[in-house]
Amino acid sequence: MTARRIGAIVTATGALLPLVLLTVYSFSRNWFWPRLLPAAWSSRAWVYVASPASEISPAILTSLWIAAVVAAISVAIALPAARVLAWVEFPGKRAFFFLLMLPVIAPPLASTMGVHGMFLRFGLTETVTGVILVHLIPAVPYTILMLTGSFTRFDPDWEAQARTLGAGTLSVWRYVTLPAIAPGLALAGVFAFLISWSQYLFTVLIGGGQVITLPLILVTFQRGSDEAITAALALVYLAPTVLVFVLMAKYMRRHA
Amino acid sequence: MRRFAAVALLAISACKQAESPRLTPAELPNTPWDKIAQAARGTTVTFAMWAGDEERNRLFRSSVSKSLLREYNMVLHVVPLADTADVINKLLNEKGAGKLQKGSIDVVWINGENFRTAKQAKLLWGPFADALPNIRYYDDGARARDFGTSVDGYEAPWQRAQFVMAYDTSRVTEPPRSIDALGSWIKAHPGRFTYVAPPDFTGSAFLRHILLHFGGYSAGFQAGFDAKLYKDASEKAIQFLTEIKPYLWRRGDTYPSTLKELDRAFANNEVDFAMSYTPSFASTRIARGEFPSSVRTFLFDRGTIGNFSYLAIPFNASNPEGALVAINHLLSVEQALDLSEASQSQFPISLDKLSATERKRADALRRGPATMSNEELAAHFANEPDAGYLTRLEQDWLDKVLRR
Repeated sequence: MTARRIGAIVTATGALLPLVLLTVYSFSRNWFWPRLLPAAWSSRAWVYVASPASEISPAILTSLWIAAVVAAISVAIALPAARVLAWVEFPGKRAFFFLLMLPVIAPPLASTMGVHGMFLRFGLTETVTGVILVHLIPAVPYTILMLTGSFTRFDPDWEAQARTLGAGTLSVWRYVTLPAIAPGLALAGVFAFLISWSQYLFTVLIGGGQVITLPLILVTFQRGSDEAITAALALVYLAPTVLVFVLMAKYMRRHA
Repeated sequence: MRRFAAVALLAISACKQAESPRLTPAELPNTPWDKIAQAARGTTVTFAMWAGDEERNRLFRSSVSKSLLREYNMVLHVVPLADTADVINKLLNEKGAGKLQKGSIDVVWINGENFRTAKQAKLLWGPFADALPNIRYYDDGARARDFGTSVDGYEAPWQRAQFVMAYDTSRVTEPPRSIDALGSWIKAHPGRFTYVAPPDFTGSAFLRHILLHFGGYSAGFQAGFDAKLYKDASEKAIQFLTEIKPYLWRRGDTYPSTLKELDRAFANNEVDFAMSYTPSFASTRIARGEFPSSVRTFLFDRGTIGNFSYLAIPFNASNPEGALVAINHLLSVEQALDLSEASQSQFPISLDKLSATERKRADALRRGPATMSNEELAAHFANEPDAGYLTRLEQDWLDKVLRR
């Protein structure tokens, strides 16, 4: 028990320390060695992040919207796919699985160039629709992978049992399947959301500078020299991940 | 999927059909400027620029946008870029896919290698620069060559930069103002100097100063690549760099790989000098609280290298008329003064091309405590050597200095 507690403390510190450091950086002025803390504090970076001039708020909204749609579509695509992959044996299943995972395995730069050409021909570049579609490329494989795990742990006979007891397709789904895979479903959706939320290269290429998401602005500042603003943006960027982490920890404690 | 794409294509072509054909570069010389300005009225112009600078972003969002709207009834749309190379890649792909018009970017901020790539691949709309009324304010050298690549009117000079060194007056009383003096200083203060490892832009620029120094700042450096000049100068430069290596920060075993790392080592009193290709960088850092307020900049007596960055128009720009008017507007004395004032950047216009009143305003420009005056910078300005020297020097540094 104590060993576990120490482990938990180490993990928590490891996860929290960078966040604390980023927070201090985002408010810091005159932070020079050997000072342990900045000599002065300033809210300049946060004022800029919140100001209309930085255009960061609309970028966050765009990011949230795109990531939410990507998560919904990914789950919709992955749900039937994962069900079949988990329960049904068919010839060429392994090859099919490999094909599914290809976008994750292949170096993104190699695939993006070809994808860009395709999207140009279809007139999908520089649109939010195009960006959502291109985010699905990395998001769907992961979502399928995670949901396949959920379905593998779920015995198809449970559905059959419910059916023999007179439940219709909808009832089976509602009272048997959905409750069983709900945690996996939520996790897969959150994962797809975070994958979309963190995309840079695909967004730059397909969005063509017309679809501005948070990572685009973060990378711009990270390549500049303004440490306080970069730190503030990094914290905004990490916020959903931290939120998910906290919620998951809570959920797991409740169900442990 | 195909059906959806067809619908999307239809929608796009339907809403753009009614427009009049855009101006072509061939028509430009015979088109009066008034007609271009007239055509630009009421349009939107999209400007792709590196946007990692708070002050510049604020300025574009407020006064630049407002002045374009007021004077030309034009709407400015800024596309923030992390890296200009992203735009070049996008244009290359668009060219490959046959998207020859209705591109999403009208103006791009560019120079050096990106310009060379873009010009070679014919990704730019032009020549156009000489048609701009305000181009007359800008240095002839800058209008002719960009890092040794001939400009030929495919971009218009906009911003100016010059290499400077920084020191902290509370630590160093008199900075070394020549390469020889710097060499002696380094040997007298082991571990207190380092430079950013090439191919970092600034680290590479630092090496070029050593090359220029041992080549006697010969004019031959700008006239294409001269193998003999390079051999003589680079041998001495490499010898110099090898000699100082054991006296560098961490005995020269490692170098900062980014400018940020060098800045931090300098701010944290690990080394005594910082360097930058932006003359106002130390003032900006002081203002942000990233450098102590006692930091000042200095130049080498024989000069530090400088360059211009430019504005160009992509080959498939939707609104070339708007781009021309916007670029001309940004090149105006008024806008140059505003931009220099707001971002404390170097004033880009040659002072001798200004009227007496304009000159007075340029002289009165507020600059940060650590930034040198325009006159001082101009008096110590040296041209960038041809790009051929740059690549060879970086390679020789890698082979003969780093790996030894």
